[in-house]
Amino acid sequence: MGAFYCSICRKTDFSGKGHIYGKSHQSKLKVIIVKFMEKIKEAKRTIKNPQVEKYSPDHDEKFWCYCCALEVQKHVTDSNISVLYGGLLEHMSTPEHRTNTHKFWWDNKADPKLRDKFIITEEATERFKSEVSKALEQFEEKEDVFIKQQAAVIRSQEQHRLEVLQSVSEPDPELEQPAEVDQHSSKHTARSSHSHSYEMEPQPGPSHEDFTSHGQWNEPGLGLTFIGYQDTSSSGNVHTGAVPPWLLEEPDEASGSGQQEMGPSLQEFLKHKEQEKLKKLPPNRVGANFDHSSHTDANWLPSFGRVWNSGRRWQSRHQFREEEAKTRGKRKWEGDGKATKKQKDLSNGEL
Amino acid sequence: MSFFLPKLSCKKDIDDAVKSVAEKVLVLRFGRDEDSVCLQLDEILSKTAHDLSNMASIYLVDVDTAPVYTRYFDISFIPSTVFFFNGQHMKVDYGSPDHTKFVGSFKTKQDFMDLIEVIYRGAMRGKLIVRSPIDPRNIPKYDLLYHDI
Repeated sequence: MGAFYCSICRKTDFSGKGHIYGKSHQSKLKVIIVKFMEKIKEAKRTIKNPQVEKYSPDHDEKFWCYCCALEVQKHVTDSNISVLYGGLLEHMSTPEHRTNTHKFWWDNKADPKLRDKFIITEEATERFKSEVSKALEQFEEKEDVFIKQQAAVIRSQEQHRLEVLQSVSEPDPELEQPAEVDQHSSKHTARSSHSHSYEMEPQPGPSHEDFTSHGQWNEPGLGLTFIGYQDTSSSGNVHTGAVPPWLLEEPDEASGSGQQEMGPSLQEFLKHKEQEKLKKLPPNRVGANFDHSSHTDANWLPSFGRVWNSGRRWQSRHQFREEEAKTRGKRKWEGDGKATKKQKDLSNGEL
Repeated sequence: MSFFLPKLSCKKDIDDAVKSVAEKVLVLRFGRDEDSVCLQLDEILSKTAHDLSNMASIYLVDVDTAPVYTRYFDISFIPSTVFFFNGQHMKVDYGSPDHTKFVGSFKTKQDFMDLIEVIYRGAMRGKLIVRSPIDPRNIPKYDLLYHDI
């Protein structure tokens, strides 16, 4: 006939209606029905006993209904609590789904006995809804109880903390007692028992044990050290949108160093450029490691291979220095002590 | 004329020149400004100085002002030209008895430029002595006086 897309095989087919009776189509169909059946069985189990739970992200899951070719929400949820499989059951009970299921069965020539399992009757839905409302009430009651328990726990912890504080500041009972006149009687007795324990040894047993057991009961729950209430009303904190400390100007930094520019100065940059050029020169050139800026004294002579020398160049320098010393010595015997002028006379004579 | 070329008048100046000229041939002409051969040489030097500016720096030294170097370099004839590279003395075989300096003047500017180029290339390759490209017929002849005789 024409081109026909079979959504079960996920193939375009040109063989017409005969495709549906083919082996592969039927096997794929069976697989799909089995998988779908599993989901529905799960859901049907909850009809008599609906589960209501606190919301969690996987309650937004959707499932694909093959009959209607739609994605449907699996569970019913309102972001706080959710009814498991509520969505599935609701969808299954709609009349549209009924017609679609029938159509699906007729088109794909599936086993008719299984068809009814994919539809949920109205009675079933009615029953489900009543069960759900009951379950919801129960759930809410449980939640309330739980919240009350939590509140009680928090209150007792708070009280315990206060007791600890008072017992720690026990050493100055004279200072404290006038200040804390309006305390509970229980706290008063606790404090006095503690003060007794500090003064006299025989008392410690019970009061200390109470103290430690109380502490131990706290430890596994909230073993935290209280470091004090951070008062940031003056400078603000992260919630009020104050400037973070690392962006604040340091008083010593700003005033001491002044404007510090980042990066190399012009001199350094030029030097760097020169060095780059030097790197390009052959490394084995003459005098590559010659230090051009080394300070030399007045007697320095460059490395020079003299004429009447055989041997290494430093020897010629050495020889020259010896000769100089000899000639200078001669001059000194003869005349006064003027060194440089004499050398000039000597050179004139030579040339 | 010699007034285009810088002059060095004391040992310290020569020392500074030797130490400061970097990656270029240092040409020290030892002589006197009034001497005729020196004048010839100075003209060649000054005319080629600009063209060789990337390879060489040329200085004039009066032999009377720095007698230490006059003795150290064994300068017996003027003009004598000594070559340095990065503080190291460069010897050149001209075909003459003295390799440590060039005695006399050059015949043409091209001779001098060729010589400088050869010295520069040799120095870049790490050679302390090079062979002169100048035709030996153009090299001035002189008799080397024996020392201490």
